[in-house]
Amino acid sequence: MSNKPYKLNSGTLGDRAFPHVMLAPTLIVLIVMTVYPLVFTFLYSFTDYNYLKQSAAFIGLGNYITLFKNAYFRQAIFNTVKFTVMAVTLEMVFGLLLAVFVNSLRWGQKLMRTLLLLPYLLPAVTVALSFRMMLSPNYGIATQVLSALGLPVYNWFHEIKTAFNTILLIDVWQNVPFVFLLLYASLQSVSADQYEAASIDGANVFQRFWYVTVPNIKNSLALCTLLRIIDTFRLFEKVNILTGGGPANSTATITQFLYNYGIKNLKFGFGSAGAIVMTMLVLMLSSFYIKKAIK
Amino acid sequence: MKKFLAMILAVAMIATLAACGSQAPSSAPQGGSSEAPPPASSPQSASAPAPSSEPQTLTLILRGGSYADVIKAALPEFEAANNVKCEVLDLAFDDLHNKIALDALNPKGAYDLCMVDGSWMAEFTAHNVLANLSALGYSFDNDIIPNTTAICEVDGQIYLAPYFGNVTIMLYNKENVKNAGVDIAGVDSWEEIMTACKAAAAQGKKGFLLRGDTPDNFVSDFLPLLLAYKGWVIDKDNKPTVNTPEFKEAMNFYLELIATGEAQSKDDVVAALDSGAATMGVGWPGWYVPADDKAASYIMIPPSAKKGGEKYATSEYGIWTIGIPQNSEKKELSMKLLQYIMSPEVQLASIQNGGVPCRYSCLQNPEILAKMPHLEIVCNALENGVYRPVIEEWTDFTNILGAEMDNIVNGVKTVDAGLADAQAQLEMLLA
Repeated sequence: MSNKPYKLNSGTLGDRAFPHVMLAPTLIVLIVMTVYPLVFTFLYSFTDYNYLKQSAAFIGLGNYITLFKNAYFRQAIFNTVKFTVMAVTLEMVFGLLLAVFVNSLRWGQKLMRTLLLLPYLLPAVTVALSFRMMLSPNYGIATQVLSALGLPVYNWFHEIKTAFNTILLIDVWQNVPFVFLLLYASLQSVSADQYEAASIDGANVFQRFWYVTVPNIKNSLALCTLLRIIDTFRLFEKVNILTGGGPANSTATITQFLYNYGIKNLKFGFGSAGAIVMTMLVLMLSSFYIKKAIK
Repeated sequence: MKKFLAMILAVAMIATLAACGSQAPSSAPQGGSSEAPPPASSPQSASAPAPSSEPQTLTLILRGGSYADVIKAALPEFEAANNVKCEVLDLAFDDLHNKIALDALNPKGAYDLCMVDGSWMAEFTAHNVLANLSALGYSFDNDIIPNTTAICEVDGQIYLAPYFGNVTIMLYNKENVKNAGVDIAGVDSWEEIMTACKAAAAQGKKGFLLRGDTPDNFVSDFLPLLLAYKGWVIDKDNKPTVNTPEFKEAMNFYLELIATGEAQSKDDVVAALDSGAATMGVGWPGWYVPADDKAASYIMIPPSAKKGGEKYATSEYGIWTIGIPQNSEKKELSMKLLQYIMSPEVQLASIQNGGVPCRYSCLQNPEILAKMPHLEIVCNALENGVYRPVIEEWTDFTNILGAEMDNIVNGVKTVDAGLADAQAQLEMLLA
């Protein structure tokens, strides 16, 4: 047996190339599917590229200036950030509560888990169309139930005071299960010994939750928040189907704005600038997590 | 050993990537493969191909709903007679526009027949999206209502054929209007519409409904009223004219009118009028087929703003036309299908499925009128309809104007401020 220590970098050319060869497929897929579109979107954002006209003259920051001068875009940014903050907060709170509740059940956990997951399994378009029917001011079941109970009935999607919050509730309803599932899985890994020890030390339910549960699942909480921020920022289908961004732009999100002013009229240069702005905003919002991950 | 393993893995990786990236060999062309129309004597033009031959496939991209349904109902006969299989994509308004446009630059088109809204005509013909139907041998016959073909030609060459005679009509609930004390047969002014809607609202019903879901719908529903006020959105030099006294007067009237009802989605507008929850609203023949036993019906859009006032053409066209994409590989066969769909016989039969032809022989057919008297209203509206402006920027135009109208309707901006903002933005757009 040789006493010579093995060195990673001391091999032949083939040995050194081996890890690179192994990484190559992933890198190629990443470059083709992510880097290439991102670079082109970035480059197009400095042009007046119109798909049908096939013109792509360089216009510098023209698209960005037009974007930020546009009051509707500024409102779309505000709406998107407001929606993201409210939706993610509500989803995290309800998701966590559900996860803790289901985790504490002595029986029926599997059934509850399956039932709670159902909304998340539905496509966003199906959810939007179902709610449009249920909340229809004419034949909607929700409207009829509210009327029968003598409760006020609204024109949910076409009144400024209700449209935003209605979409918010629908989105929260659909995405709470995602948060629930991730946190529930995380809770499963928390050792029962810690709860037992805390109980012996006299900790009450809230103290056990705060000093045992939360520290154990904080990484999952952070990851879940990041994923929900990214996903909620891209909200499109529900808004497009249910309100089209109205009434009076009160539900317009960045993606809805880009669809109306960049995609529908095939002005892809302008649309690309909006996409870059959106990417930067998502990066800013999720920078806390990314910073932590890099450390 | 490691070297050998690395070599094998590298070869496997390259092979996998190559396999993923390579294109599947294209199937043999089913029709003429050149971009130019195939010669008339080519095999595909034969009306009765050998039964043993593989059926050719035509891909149709259509507006979903009753507009596509009537074409789909007519296809089996054509397929059987021509050994053709037709695949139909029925899409929403915006999706249809984008799919046709996105495919337009491909050397080999994915679609062989497309349904086109009149408002896309300028954009599509400016960028060579559509094939010249005249060059393919198509011409209009005298039976087609002449006014409906107004936007189908460029420099005397036909690019589209008017298929579905969509034109704005005034939907109403029979019971509500009767209870409001209005004789609907005699209504020819918007003032009377206001009277009926206010009376219905006083009786606890919703008065006038509008579609409040997209900027385009805001504009479309308003244009007939604007026409009654002798207003329009652009002048003869294509300059925007939305900040004018006529526009403001019409807008102020509109605000008063819609205060009797509310904004809803299209499906809800129809449901509310049919159920009696609401009284009136601007609609299209494709939405609703009236009958004696149905609760709603429609009349022509009133031509005057005030009772006894000057009359104008107020019916706004939303005609669904059909054309052939320039890059279709089967233009001759597509033309055959277009001629079949546009034929008087097929159009007459389409009425049973909710179709609304642009042909006199169909809309003035005594047998049809005996069963469907409302088609006389459609015929009159089609004879005097007005197309939306044929400008390339129409999508942007409606986005801007519709967004500002949405602000006005919802009280976010005053009429003066909203229309001034719209005018400024539209001037920049059309500069």
